[in-house]
This record gives sequence, C-alpha cells and structure tokens, in this order.
Amino acid sequence: MEFYLTALLQGFSFSALALGIFISMKIFNIPDITTDGSYTLGAVVTAVMITHHQPAYLILPAVIVAGGLAGALTGIIHTKLKINALLAGILVMTALYSVNLTLMGTSNLPLNNFPTLFNLVQISADPNHNTFWVVSAFVIVLIALIGYLLKTDFGIAMRATGNSESMIRSLGVNTDRMKITGLALANALTAVSGYLISQYQGFTDISMGIGIVIVGLGSVIIAETLINWFRITSVWLSLILVLTGAVIFRLVLSLTLDLGVDANLLQLVTAGFVLLIVSLPRLRLRTR
Amino acid sequence: MKQFTYLIVILITVFIVSCSSGKKDLPVIGFVDYEKDASLEPAKNGFIDALKANGFEDGKNIKISYRNAQGSIPTLTQIVNFFVSKKVDLMATCTTLSSITAAQKTKTIPIFMMVSPTVKLMNMENAAGKGPANLFGVVEDLNYIDTSFSNILKFLKPKAGKLFVGMIYNQSEPQSVDAKKRIQADADKLNITLIALPLNSSADAQLVTQSLLSKNIDAFFANPDNSVFASFETIYKSCDQKNVPIFTSEAGLVQRGAVAAFGADIYQWGYQAGEQAAQFLKTHSTAGLQPEMVKLRKRVYNPALAKKYNINVPANFEPVK
Repeated sequence: MEFYLTALLQGFSFSALALGIFISMKIFNIPDITTDGSYTLGAVVTAVMITHHQPAYLILPAVIVAGGLAGALTGIIHTKLKINALLAGILVMTALYSVNLTLMGTSNLPLNNFPTLFNLVQISADPNHNTFWVVSAFVIVLIALIGYLLKTDFGIAMRATGNSESMIRSLGVNTDRMKITGLALANALTAVSGYLISQYQGFTDISMGIGIVIVGLGSVIIAETLINWFRITSVWLSLILVLTGAVIFRLVLSLTLDLGVDANLLQLVTAGFVLLIVSLPRLRLRTR
Repeated sequence: MKQFTYLIVILITVFIVSCSSGKKDLPVIGFVDYEKDASLEPAKNGFIDALKANGFEDGKNIKISYRNAQGSIPTLTQIVNFFVSKKVDLMATCTTLSSITAAQKTKTIPIFMMVSPTVKLMNMENAAGKGPANLFGVVEDLNYIDTSFSNILKFLKPKAGKLFVGMIYNQSEPQSVDAKKRIQADADKLNITLIALPLNSSADAQLVTQSLLSKNIDAFFANPDNSVFASFETIYKSCDQKNVPIFTSEAGLVQRGAVAAFGADIYQWGYQAGEQAAQFLKTHSTAGLQPEMVKLRKRVYNPALAKKYNINVPANFEPVK
C-alpha cells in the first residue's frame, strides 16, 4: 500500500492547484491556462531559493507573491485590454516559460542535499510518512483559509461574478477588480502546488507545467460530479471534494500503473477509469 | 438503484486491494522509461539483450517490469515510487529525467542509468563532488560532440570562405544547452559561423528549421536531444529540399536521414548498462561498480545521402545498417 500512499501525497500536493482551478472556474466558467506557467513558476522560485540557502519562512510567501503576480497579469490583460480570458492565460503562460528559464538559469535543478519543507520537521522516521503529516497539515490549513475566504462578503461576490456578472455589477461591485484578485488568488494557489511538488519529487524541471492544467481540471470535474450527485451546497464540503478529486485522479493513475497495462494503453485505461467514476451517477439499472 | 452504484464502488475497491498483493520470488528489474521514442527504443532492447547474453531472461529467472511515463513528469514520479514501494532489486532508467527522478527517490535500490549524462552534468554532485552512492550504469559527457562537430570540416568545403552551420537546441534540457555552449566554443576555434536557434517544443521544429535554412547555411548539425529526436523527420524534409546535409552525433539519426555521425550508439549504450546490471544480479553486490562512460562509439555514414551530396567519406566511417 506504500505506493498508493505516494499517489495520495501527490494528490494532496496537487490539491492547491485543483483549488486554484476551482476558483478560476467559479469566476470565468472556463479554466485559466496561466496555470501551466504559474505552477512551474512556483516550483522555480522554490528551487532557486532553496539552492541559494534562503530560510524556509521566506520561500512560501515568495512563491505566493510570484504566482499572484502572474495571475493578476492575466486578469489585467483580460479586463483592461479586453482580451479573451483563454488567450490572456495562454499569453501569460507562454511568456512565463522564458521568465522561468531565466530565473533558473538551467532547465533542471535537483534539490538533493538541500533541506526541504518535508525534512524540516521530523514527525516520523519514514520519509514518506513524514511527508504525509507535513503535507496533510499544510492542506488542512490551506482549505481552512480558502473556505473562510469564500464565505466572506468578498468571497461570495467573487463566486457570484461567475454566475451573473451584470447582477453583481449592478450591486456596485467592481467586477474587473474581482476578476484580477480572483485570478491572482487562483494562480498563487497553483504556485503553491508547484512549491509542494518540486520539494516532493526532489527537482524542478522547466517542462513540468506542460499540460498540468488538465490535472487540475480533471480533479475539479470529478469534484463537481460528486457535488452534483450528492447535491452539496456547503463550501467546506465542496473544497474537501476538490481535494478528494485530486487524490482520486492520482490514485486512478497508480492503479493503472499497478495493473501493468501495456505502456501504450496507459492513458487510455486511465481515461477509462476516470470516465467510470464520473459516470457513476448516471449508471442506473433500468428496472420496471 | 443506489445499491448498484455502491456495488461498483465496492468492486473497484476490492479490485485495487487484490491487485496490490503481488508475490515476489524472482529478482525484479524496474525499467523506467520517460517517453515513447523511436530512437530511444534500442536502449531498452540492448539492456534486455545484454541480460539475456548473461543468462538472465525475463520470466525465467528474472522479471522485467517496464513502465513508460509518456513524457509526463508526475507520472514519472509515480512510476519511480511504484518500483520503490515494490522493493524491486534494481532500477533501469532511460534518459536524464528518469535517472534524476529515481536518484531523488531512493538511496538504496541500485539504479542503472542509460542515455543519461554524467552525474556532474545532471547537477547531482554534492559539495565533495560525489554523486549518489546507488547510481550506476552508463553515462556520457560532451566530449564526443566536439569530435562530431569538427568532423563536418572533413566532409564539407565552405562555399564562401567560412562554413555556416545551423543548429537547434532545446532550452528545456540541460545537456542540450550545455552542448550548444560547447559547440559554440568549437565553432569559434574552427573558424565556423554557428547559427543556433532555441526550440522548446517539437511543434516549432519546422518553423525554426526553415528560419535557419533561410540564412543560407552549408550544413545542419542535429544536436541529439528529445525535441530533435521527436521532430527529426521534419528537419530532414526541410533540409533535403534545400540540399543542406545534416550531421549529428547519434547513429540512430543517420538511419533517419543524417549524412554522418560520430557518437554513441543507443543500442550499445543500453547493452553496456545491461552488462553492469547482469554483474550485479550475479554477485548481488555493487562492489566495484560505478557509472561508466560509453565505451563503444561509432563512426557511421549514410551511403545514399553521401552520394547525393558528393561527399567523400573518410575510410574509418562505416555505412549505417
């Protein structure tokens, strides 16, 4: 079962990304493509600061600020220059590739022989168990913060912006500012995922963000399916389901790997399993 | 009919649990491959053939468990973790990222690398200049690239005083960027003008190649990295139309349309790593093992293309099979 624990840890580390996509989906009803770049940005800032022996308490804030800036930039391009949200995300993601490469100075930075978040605190002797405790605490705090934020007036206004922009504007809310802040928040979360994953896998690679938006999207859609299935209205439960979605997404892949299907069929079988999960609510035995 | 859906959930759970209780009696080799690629395929075959030549056959006295990440880093991490948790006897890693990921995840299971650069080039050395103690296999530094590049002068005479050579390199691969720096230094020494353009995904290959060809280059140097491997046919097609010969440092690319190469043979690379793994399986100890340099380098040329470009090939080059 040790192997499934690693899938769980990866799922936990990806949950910040899933929460980011969840928020951007709430605001725009489309996923934010900046994700691919800001995820790597978070990992790059982490690796550069760790290899330059920066203290741990500085790294996380720096990652959050970097991700937030990337998201805010997408928001500004979308709202002020009236560029389609998808394109704005693609543009920032493309530009971030060069930013990431310049920051790192190389395309791959291993983090071995450096202290990381997961060996700062020694709760258990087994590194995997230790990682589990650290990342669990991290995710609990994260979900508590985001849950609280989404329940404030600001959070409600932000969520409502996605539902009916004209209504929110008529209530005197500056929707442009809402979108910029929301995207900054979403991408700060995404960067946090990069921060966790890079320390967990032990290196940062320039291409690690390519297609990562799909991972977040998959998690969110699994979560949305469960939310609709159980008719959930609570914000807390929704967030926990997003976390569950991220874990399920990784678990399905590990299951496929464990089964040892032919390498060519890996993605197909994984997709098949995910399809099975999201179509569960629709599967009904027709009985008369 | 909620029961039905619950039943399915229960069945899947049972399925997962029942699958993960594998028995282990034969020594297990976990083979970690990063992507599907025609040029990289021979490494795995060479590795397996070397084991066979030493009396280790899959299913008979060893079990080879092969996993391919298909170019996804999270999947790669999961594959490595899968092998670590299965406590395989040794891991074989093909290409740089697989080797780096495996070295990060285990300090005890011996890792036999292939198609990977030296530990130093992977930035994996500690302050004392030592790499992880469980890293073995066969690696390559960049010296051979100098030879491959300077060979161009043996084949071609510049049209106008100076030889113009174009190349593309991948910014997302450390060894590709290092190779580009080296080739730039060589070009300066050899009085060759090098025009190098970066490429970040194989989708841009055609555009970047065309851009180089528009600058009237005499030859194209294909620096063997993942994006060149993936898009070589596009590069070849564009160069062929403009009658620009391609030189490289990888024999597999000569089969696919380059004129000549001096460098590692991917099959032999895997074979050499397989011989090391076989020694470990025989003795059950890593004593005396360490990462070795690629031993066998080949000078090969493509007869059909040499004829097309009227190139006199030096006698120490052999035609590619």
